[in-house]
Amino acid sequence: MTFVRFLATRLATLAFVLLTVSFLTYAIFVLLPADPAQLACGRPCTPERLETARAYMGLDRSVVEQWWEFVRGVLTGRTFGSAGATVDCPRPCLGYSFAHNTPVTELIVGRIGVTASLAIGAAMLWLVLGVGAGAVAAVRRGTVLDRGLMVAAITGVSAPSYLVGLLGILLFGFTLDMVPVSGYVPFRDSPVDWAWHLVLPWSVLALLSAAVYTRLTRSQMLEELGAPYVRTARAKGITEERVVTRHALRNAAIPVVTLFALDLGALLGGAVITERVFSMPGLGALLMEAVGRTDVPLLVGVTVFTAAVVVVANLAVDVVHGVLDPRVRRGGRAR
Amino acid sequence: MSPVTRGPERPHLSFRTPSFRTLPYPEDKKDHMNNAPRTPHRPSGRAVAAGIAVAAMLALSACNANSRPAGEADAEPTAVQQGGTLRILTPSDAINWDPATSQNLAITTLGLVERRLTSWKTNPDGSTEVVPDLATDTGTPSDDGASWTFTLKDGLAFEDGTPVTSADVKYSVERSFAPELSGGLSYHKNLLKGADGYNGPYQGDELDSIETPDDKTLVFHLDSAYGDWPWIVSMPAFGAVPEAKDDIRTYTTQPVATGPYRVAETVEGTSVTLERNPEWDPSTDEARTAGPDSVVFELSQDETVVAQRLIADSGDDASAFGGSFVPPAQLAQVQQGPAQDRLVTSGPGALAYLAINTEAEGLDDVDVRRAVSLAVDKNAYRVAAGGEIAGDFATTLVTPGIPGREEYSNGVNDAAPEGDVERAESLLEEAGWSGRQLRLVVQDDAPTLARAQAVQQGLERAGLKVKIVPQADDVWTQTVTQGDGSGYDLTLSSWQPDFPSANGNIQPLFHSSQVGGGGYNLARYTSPEADDLIDRATQATDPDAAAALWVEADQLVLGDAPVVPLIYTKNSFLHGSKVENFRIPDFPAYPNYLQVSLAP
Amino acid sequence: MSLDRSDELVATTASSATAGRTGLWRRLAHDRFALVGAVVVVAYALVALAAPLITRVLGVDPYTYDLDALGPTGAPAGPLGGISAEHWFGVEPLSGRDLFAIVVMGSRTSLLVGLGATVVSMVVGTVLGLVAGYFGGWVDWAVARLIDVLIGLPALVFMIAVGAVAPDWFPRLLLLVLVIGLFGWSSVARVVRSQTMALRASGFVRASQALGASHGHVLLRQVLPNLASTVVVFATISVPGAIGAEAALSFLGVGVPPPTPSWGRSIGDAVTWFAVDPVYLLFPGLALFGVTLAFNAFGDGLRDALDPRGGGSRRRRRRGGSR
Repeated sequence: MTFVRFLATRLATLAFVLLTVSFLTYAIFVLLPADPAQLACGRPCTPERLETARAYMGLDRSVVEQWWEFVRGVLTGRTFGSAGATVDCPRPCLGYSFAHNTPVTELIVGRIGVTASLAIGAAMLWLVLGVGAGAVAAVRRGTVLDRGLMVAAITGVSAPSYLVGLLGILLFGFTLDMVPVSGYVPFRDSPVDWAWHLVLPWSVLALLSAAVYTRLTRSQMLEELGAPYVRTARAKGITEERVVTRHALRNAAIPVVTLFALDLGALLGGAVITERVFSMPGLGALLMEAVGRTDVPLLVGVTVFTAAVVVVANLAVDVVHGVLDPRVRRGGRAR
Repeated sequence: MSPVTRGPERPHLSFRTPSFRTLPYPEDKKDHMNNAPRTPHRPSGRAVAAGIAVAAMLALSACNANSRPAGEADAEPTAVQQGGTLRILTPSDAINWDPATSQNLAITTLGLVERRLTSWKTNPDGSTEVVPDLATDTGTPSDDGASWTFTLKDGLAFEDGTPVTSADVKYSVERSFAPELSGGLSYHKNLLKGADGYNGPYQGDELDSIETPDDKTLVFHLDSAYGDWPWIVSMPAFGAVPEAKDDIRTYTTQPVATGPYRVAETVEGTSVTLERNPEWDPSTDEARTAGPDSVVFELSQDETVVAQRLIADSGDDASAFGGSFVPPAQLAQVQQGPAQDRLVTSGPGALAYLAINTEAEGLDDVDVRRAVSLAVDKNAYRVAAGGEIAGDFATTLVTPGIPGREEYSNGVNDAAPEGDVERAESLLEEAGWSGRQLRLVVQDDAPTLARAQAVQQGLERAGLKVKIVPQADDVWTQTVTQGDGSGYDLTLSSWQPDFPSANGNIQPLFHSSQVGGGGYNLARYTSPEADDLIDRATQATDPDAAAALWVEADQLVLGDAPVVPLIYTKNSFLHGSKVENFRIPDFPAYPNYLQVSLAP
Repeated sequence: MSLDRSDELVATTASSATAGRTGLWRRLAHDRFALVGAVVVVAYALVALAAPLITRVLGVDPYTYDLDALGPTGAPAGPLGGISAEHWFGVEPLSGRDLFAIVVMGSRTSLLVGLGATVVSMVVGTVLGLVAGYFGGWVDWAVARLIDVLIGLPALVFMIAVGAVAPDWFPRLLLLVLVIGLFGWSSVARVVRSQTMALRASGFVRASQALGASHGHVLLRQVLPNLASTVVVFATISVPGAIGAEAALSFLGVGVPPPTPSWGRSIGDAVTWFAVDPVYLLFPGLALFGVTLAFNAFGDGLRDALDPRGGGSRRRRRRGGSR
């Protein structure tokens, strides 16, 4: 199978998944007992006004029709409303939020900075911490340091993130007054404030996620260090340091990097709980608010977007593996 | 979670001779239940009032000043200092500045940027009055009361310098009819002549019932006499929108200001910054003091965090106040520390009550309902709402401070706050209660659920089986106000009249016309006798006669026990140490944003 | 989804399965951490099972209000959150309910949902993994697509939405078990799939097929037993995630409705009361943390015991979105 065909297959998968996800989202949220037209109905909400609102929002059509309109909108853009006061939703139109009176794409773009800041910063931190700690633990296997790190890791894996986050806010934010307790400052406005507001969320997320990576790295490293080629390398007289870093760590890193890409993808989709705990106005918060208000277009748009991010992350990992490992390409997938 | 709130339907009332009565504005029950007004969008459910003294300042005395804690609104107003950045911490994730779709109160967010024909002013003693804003007075009615004339003040200009004309006001009202802009307060849509079928100006149609004989004069022609029109024109739609700058896509975030501030910057989901509008002339505005140089709304803040930040009062938070109610946990926290002085509690405002669906199986029996009333543990309810600071126990439908309110006893309403379980049990037995499980449908936020559990445990002492069914806000509204009412047996809600008038306590909640279709007669109570009494009381022109009739109506309705009055709620808000002139009027029980200033 | 090092797991479990049970138990017994974890897990399970009995014997229950134990603001009147002879763990603010009873009865919610959801995940994942790995072709393709879609959906949001859509005569606990379980089967499916593929190519299976055994027979009698240890390990590792997911949903307010006790809901509430009543957080927080830690420790030990090389490459897929 050539690389092009490989890539094409993966892209087809991406399209399929996005179509399915969007349809499922429409189906389930249209099933919600709340009537989104209520939002646009005004006060007093008479049955006639409800009908008008419903027609304007396109809710009087079937689920399949609504979904199809959505798909077309992504590709070509859409217009809402009557002549004279039309609302234009340029492509890619991920829907139009009536509650916000804004296209979903615009809302996402406005918020992606927050989610990206949170995700990427935390991810860098936990990667370095996790892999570093795991490698150290593996190299010093059996020692107190190893045991200590493993205990810390298992504690981190077991602690609920919202609890740690809230306690962190209470301790470092309110009691010690060391960091701001909530809110987000755009990087543009003040890089220092931006970082300062993110220190606590980064730390909480990183510490808890690093635990997983510590364990994984350690087990991977132990395997590598026990492999025949390492024995050979040592026999050849290569220094321990180089054996660890240039050989064992590099090989051990492959599944770690895989997991990292997937985790980052998922986090970029919006860490709902973390954003809630730290009052960060990111995509996760947007999603939760859309659920609470039954803002179906917003829900579908953001869900499709986050699904796309996750799938693209998976796709990227696949492609990288395809490049690195010819077996994968030939066999189709090394699942 | 939703900043868009809704309030109850207002009844149509005919013009009445000038009297001192106003029709209450039903409070947005959602806010009271959630203990978190989703300002800035919060509407206060404006009921169209009826029969008020027209030209007069409706200065109503603060009949509830007695119940306010010390260090509060009764103090002399502090001189307004200019300067500083005021911060408002709010759980809302966006501010909607479009007057056509907004349901905002006149004294909160929207009022900072957009003036209307009339506005509200809060006096130091807590009373509220309608004052002229863009107009020179609160309107001149024609002899039959069906036409109202307003004259705009001189020297009014938009933020870009263009003068405000009557055409701009007319346009603002007209665009509120467009289907693309539905969602705002719509009471005027039922009152203006020929409004049926009018769909806004975007296809070139005009609303003829709004005349603009010249640049400064407006004449509104109504379907019938309407004494409360001055209140109607304090709503957002009666501001000024320049047609040349109208863009329905962007107006929600970039309105054209007529008030002391203009929208300077919006960061999606994070903040909205207002700065001074140089074209605003303070000498034309008696409702606003515009002390701070700029105002920053911090969005998407969790209510608990808001309260904790204000208690901590560090850094910029000293110049901030909370746009949401203080949750019970933080009420407890505040009352045990020095931050107490910065806690401001309103007078008793809304009536919190348990509505019993009188159409549900078994609940159509008045004895069963009386048993429910006796089984309720009001004490536990109040504790769940935050303890004594949350309000006083309620025994009547009309809230304290309303002229003509009388206490009475019908053997059920004044039972001990813990309830009378034995009597409840025997009533149930006599009535042959089936013992089926009752569905208590409530909104799914934590404060409401705490109160629902308090109600549940109270009822279960008498053997009533209750299942709590939490629903998202929109779903709850739909379950209880739309449809056939088959989804619930019991529900919790609260109701506040905006002005001391018994009409707003009773008509929207108990008149048969308010069952379903968006109305707030949650008990689905229909009684021809009660309807007749309510209608007569509404029509009565003599205040004393009307008061007597309302007391009669109160007794009649409560005698049928369609609801169980629980407490008269008080709302609490926190502000930072540098915030001054932070007052909560008696009505509505929310802070007046327009008069807040900062210490230097 | 792509490179899955669980191939190594295949080799190790295959070898250790043949290596015999005795080795496994001995290795497990030497791992103190895992032993303690196991004991704690069993203790929690016993408490959860006996919870109604315990509360009845002690005369407490999680539903009865005790307003006398509260002060005028709704906070507990006594020090330390109202700890007393009557209320061993103190009382819940605003209601005065006994915290000991709430924690003890709350264990039922957590364990029931945690174990139930894990069972659902394991069953669904094993079946789908088996079928995908054994038959290959379009079946494999279909399962792979299913996994892709599952991973793309924001799990937490969907769980909330499903909770809102479901009619309320549908028991909430069952709904939670199904929803959490159905969002968590993908990792075990993938592992089972690769193992099945390897086993399918192995000697004894091919011999069976050559002798004319039906697919069903091969799957049930030859493949499945060899997967057992993998699935058990996965199950043990997945339980803490499921428990955590239930707690997270309760924290967000969409778990079991009140007044049914739930650690997650208590924790969410307790954090807002921390400044006034820090003890309120202590017991439910420790309880949740404790059971999670115990399951993790035991699961680790089990996995290590099965793979004597002391490593084992396992990619942990956290239950969607609980971050």
